[in-house]
Amino acid sequence: MLAYVAQRIAVAVLMVWLVATIVFLLLHIVPGDPAELLLSTGSTAPDPAAVAALREKLGLNAPIYVQYWDYLTGLARGHLGNSLQDGTPVAEQVALRLPRTLELIVTAALVATAIGIPVGIRAATHAGGITDRLASGAAAVALSTPVFVIGTLAILLFAQTLKIAPAGGYVAFADNPVRHLGLLILPALTVATPLTAVIVRMTRSAVLEVLERDFVRAVRARGVAPRRILSRHVLRSALVPVVTVTGLELGTLLGGTVLVEFVYNWPGLSGFLVRAVDARDYPEVVGIVLTISALFVLINLVVDLLNAMLDPKVRLSA
Amino acid sequence: MSLDLTRRRFMAGAAAAGTIGFIGAPTARAQATGILTFGLSSYPPSFAALQNAGTAAGTVKLMIHRGLLSYDNAGQIRGELAEDWGVDESGVWTFKLRDNAVWHDGRPVTAADVKYTIETGAAEGSSAAYTTSLQLIEKIEMPDAKTVKLTFSEPFATAETLFAHYNMPIIPEGSDEEALVGAGPFKIDSRERGVSVDLVASDNYYKPGLPKLAGIKAVAYADENLRVAALEAGDVDLIEYVPWPAMGSIDDNPSLTLDVVEGPFMYLTFNGARKPFDNPLVRRAIAHAVKREDVVDAAFFGRGAGLAHLPISDASPFYNPQYADAWAYDPEKAKALLAEAGHPDGFDCTLLSTAQYGMHTSTAEITQAYLSMIGINVTLDLPDWATRVQKGNAGEYDFAVMGTSADSNDPDGIARLIDPALPPSFARSINLDIPQITALLTEGRSTFDTEARKVIYEKLEGIAIDEVPLAGLCWRAQGYGMSDKVSGFKNLPGQLTFYSGLTLEETALS
Repeated sequence: MLAYVAQRIAVAVLMVWLVATIVFLLLHIVPGDPAELLLSTGSTAPDPAAVAALREKLGLNAPIYVQYWDYLTGLARGHLGNSLQDGTPVAEQVALRLPRTLELIVTAALVATAIGIPVGIRAATHAGGITDRLASGAAAVALSTPVFVIGTLAILLFAQTLKIAPAGGYVAFADNPVRHLGLLILPALTVATPLTAVIVRMTRSAVLEVLERDFVRAVRARGVAPRRILSRHVLRSALVPVVTVTGLELGTLLGGTVLVEFVYNWPGLSGFLVRAVDARDYPEVVGIVLTISALFVLINLVVDLLNAMLDPKVRLSA
Repeated sequence: MSLDLTRRRFMAGAAAAGTIGFIGAPTARAQATGILTFGLSSYPPSFAALQNAGTAAGTVKLMIHRGLLSYDNAGQIRGELAEDWGVDESGVWTFKLRDNAVWHDGRPVTAADVKYTIETGAAEGSSAAYTTSLQLIEKIEMPDAKTVKLTFSEPFATAETLFAHYNMPIIPEGSDEEALVGAGPFKIDSRERGVSVDLVASDNYYKPGLPKLAGIKAVAYADENLRVAALEAGDVDLIEYVPWPAMGSIDDNPSLTLDVVEGPFMYLTFNGARKPFDNPLVRRAIAHAVKREDVVDAAFFGRGAGLAHLPISDASPFYNPQYADAWAYDPEKAKALLAEAGHPDGFDCTLLSTAQYGMHTSTAEITQAYLSMIGINVTLDLPDWATRVQKGNAGEYDFAVMGTSADSNDPDGIARLIDPALPPSFARSINLDIPQITALLTEGRSTFDTEARKVIYEKLEGIAIDEVPLAGLCWRAQGYGMSDKVSGFKNLPGQLTFYSGLTLEETALS
């Protein structure tokens, strides 16, 4: 098990480095000069001398391999670089914004699992019934509706029409806890909607599959109560794929909350990435992508370990 | 030389009469109340005082800074840090500073600060918006701590609009690039990049009783729909850049107010290095080929008006009615011009715009559709804004869609958009050789007599109609939306709409 974990970590580090390298190179290939952009935000021509001076100051005149090497050696020293826009350390920006994105995702995941797993189980145990049909229909709608549509409709309904929730924005918990939670509700529910649908579907199919297995039939034949069969025997096996999928979805959400953060003006890391790309802020983009990739890999690792705890076969195969 | 010798606007006596209350210590300030939440259209990419960083940055700068001059609610020049100003017969401009004008930190605003500001902006390699104009100042004299005399290398009639521009505030001597300490009504308390800027009322503002607000929370809402939703939900009190589709609903909402002016405009720019755009006949053909009402309808939901001449408002004393429809939609004329240019069957070309902003995309699509009717086969190039800017600056395009506002309501306010002698910019045509326009702009800038200037700009517009340094498409409505709790905020007229942040000093919350 330890060797497996060590191997996974090595592969993870390699993956993160690869991602960072690819993003670094891609950013330098796409058009758009950060120095020119920084000076062209109005409609006045940037003075070529000013652009040149800024490029020099930002270190953009150096060949790409020098910039890349500087970046890697910086990383090795634990330095993610400084923003081209205002010179602040990228790590500082990440540390400020990552918790907000995580808060959104974790809240959404809690809501999604709290709703998705019971509904999925009920749909499976009453397959073909009204709950099953309603849940399957709702899940299909939730999965096929883009999050920005869900978000926009939620704002229209709850903020603009009913006026029972704020339209968007952010207030730190420490400044105003009630307002903070009020602002969290709609974006978290928006993120939770497709995730809930995934969990409902996954739980339903996994439970159904386990219910068909021979050992369940055998236990049922022994006269064990259905509720006990479900809790003692079925869920233990059925939740393995649910945990896996939920974990993977969480990783995806780290980058996938971009639209939700944008729609609700939630100042997290994902939305910040879009602005960094817009400004061609190379260190910021690479730093954010690096953070997201590292977390994605970490979540995968945690999911695997959780699975190993839930299902001994995973441990054996490792 | 004495100020008594000034030829025009000397000492602005009338203005002084209306602002007599300025004299005296700022202790007369009333208790400011309320924090106004302002929905910005984007987070300012830079706070650098002298740099042009767009509309949102301009609005925030008008909260923090003041220049020598500014505009009143009717769009007339008024004194700001300078209480008196004028120009003598030799073209030397003199500005007399207010005694009670102080920086946020309490130090008095002095002539040395003005000198420092001008020298900083004029320095080689400066990123200031008005480096070229400031470099025309060859001598700065300070007869006393509150007086500045500026000698330009050539007569400079538009010094007032230059020193009234929000990208030309005065900053304290020794300021760094950002210059966050100003002499304006509010000072920065805190900020988070990409999110918000918190400002509090300055205790030292030189206008008694102002600002009326205790502070402003400027929150960036890049998504225009959310900006409107935030206003309708009561999350914000005031928003800029009301999206055109939402203007109707805000106007109809009894608890909201829509304040709209027509001033900013859309136009086409050309690359003279790409054939056949070097030919003025082709540029004119294009100017005649687009039905402007459709641009207004498609891109601005009918909130605007056609613009078939240079962007000089019909309310301006420099408006030339004979040119009002000079580039009017006339497909037959367009075809004839194309034939005359040697392209009777049209040609293939690429139109640069951006997919990032709907108004730019829609304008490009309408232009494409209309040009196809005269045989010009247009391929759209719609990259993100960053790439569009770079391609525009580098001249990597045939012709392009652009939208902006002039620097002022003075005809010289469009100089940066039509002067082909200026360095390359995505905001204007590139590689065009029209020296008459440069010469007339220079002449207009150095002529003090209004009637003489009218003749110059009339001649200039006549040449522009033939040469087409830009092809005007439409005026667009520019709106601010506010809740009924807000009073005192005003959208300034015409091209001055982006100066409206000036009125935040008079804005109050009930």
